[in-house]
Amino acid sequence: MLKLTNVTTVVGGFPAVRDVSLEIKKGEFVALLGSNGAGKTTLFRTIAGVLKPSKGVIEFNGKQLNNLPAHKIVMLGLSLCPEGRQLFPHLSVYKNLMMGAYTRRNDHKGIQLSLEQVYELFPILKERKNQLAGTFSGGQQQMLAIGRALMSKPDMLLLDEPSIGLAPLVVQKIADVIKNISKEMGTTVFLSEQNANMALMITDRGYVLENGKIVLAGPSSELIYNETVKKAYLGA
Amino acid sequence: MDLFLQQILNGIMLGSTYAVVALGLTLVFGILHIPNFAHGHLYMLGGYVTFFFITLLGFGFWTAMISSMIILALIGILVERVVYRPLRDQPHINSFISAIGALMFLETFVVVAWGPQGQRIPNPYPNPVEIGGIILTQQRLLVIIAAIVLIVLLQLFLKKTTPGTTIEAVAQNREGAMLVGINVNRVSSMTFAISTATAAAAASLVAPIFMISPSMGALLGMKAFVIVILGGLGSVPGAIFGGYILGLIEALGGGYISADYKDVFAFGALILILAIRPTGLFGREEVG
Repeated sequence: MLKLTNVTTVVGGFPAVRDVSLEIKKGEFVALLGSNGAGKTTLFRTIAGVLKPSKGVIEFNGKQLNNLPAHKIVMLGLSLCPEGRQLFPHLSVYKNLMMGAYTRRNDHKGIQLSLEQVYELFPILKERKNQLAGTFSGGQQQMLAIGRALMSKPDMLLLDEPSIGLAPLVVQKIADVIKNISKEMGTTVFLSEQNANMALMITDRGYVLENGKIVLAGPSSELIYNETVKKAYLGA
Repeated sequence: MDLFLQQILNGIMLGSTYAVVALGLTLVFGILHIPNFAHGHLYMLGGYVTFFFITLLGFGFWTAMISSMIILALIGILVERVVYRPLRDQPHINSFISAIGALMFLETFVVVAWGPQGQRIPNPYPNPVEIGGIILTQQRLLVIIAAIVLIVLLQLFLKKTTPGTTIEAVAQNREGAMLVGINVNRVSSMTFAISTATAAAAASLVAPIFMISPSMGALLGMKAFVIVILGGLGSVPGAIFGGYILGLIEALGGGYISADYKDVFAFGALILILAIRPTGLFGREEVG
């Protein structure tokens, strides 16, 4: 479904992502682990078209993404739930979700179904649908950001550090929902996390990114016992 | 008392046009995050295009005004494309310089085409009407009504339609807008088109009352900045209220103290309000 071949992205003269190759198949649930500054966000922004790769090829369902602007990539069914959430703070929760469905704005029935689905995943979004997004707490904003990304009904969802800055209980709740999105809804999910423990508990397999390079890859159940991963990310 | 009411009505009329012009400026500010310095000059051009349609092509007032709005919408799109978009990722100072180039071009163009002297559009509705003892021409009443209709329509567009919401979305979070599939370039073009078309409408409405001249853009552009800063940069209600406040200050100051000093009152009010509230009347603290 998603295939990267030797992708390099230069940000401010510095290659933040170097020579990354990876492949994710339909229906998979994959983790991208790495510490702060490893290049996870740059890699995701490159895939989503916010940044342009300086080298390499990105393909989604056989279509090359390299030169497509971000808004066209969403239309192909690849949605990024970005770091920092990037919500519309002065719009209501409901309008944020509706903007999430912008690419299918004429499919009123489909939007209604997606909306109900998102409300079911995050009941708080329904309760507070008229509240301004900017007045939400961090956890609620993260839920809204995931909900907004789902409103485009993506075939593949990229989640950039959804657990960052959240309380452990909220992280648990969000992890459950992400698992649900993958297993119940059948969406292909690529999850970037510093919280390796959480990510490896729910995903099928993972990649480890260090200094912009993939240094390790394998099934999550193996990575969780890997000495390097343990030392670097699990605090053991 | 009559003088007071008369000046209030004058103030509301002035304020209505200011509010429309400032609304366009504030919308574009939301998208570009810099003020469009050429806005006043596009307003001026809008007045001249209406003048052109009426005097040279013999259009009626309303047909001329709507044609002028369409032409200015297209020019607005062109200005965004040529003056602002190529410099989007450059330091803001580059856009300022580029905008100053654009406004000098516009003013010179009008001087070459129509001469430096003022021109008058024949007043389509010169008959006086009386409201509660106050006499004003139909045209003045029309300015107020038409401006309010424009403001209400624009508000409905922004709040109730999907394309309108995309303008707000891009203003509030550009990257978020891109990631939900909004074509940010198209929204920029649309915002510019709306902004310049409404400026053309405002210029056309008051042109039969005041003269049009190539230099009127500079002063009005400056006042629109005052209003937008007064109301809070990027704030839509701020632009509307700021417009009316400035109109009333000018009319009352001009009527009671001295008409020669009306601009002094306007800019004095700006300094005063910003000293008390640096974020403007409706400026909001950063949220989220």
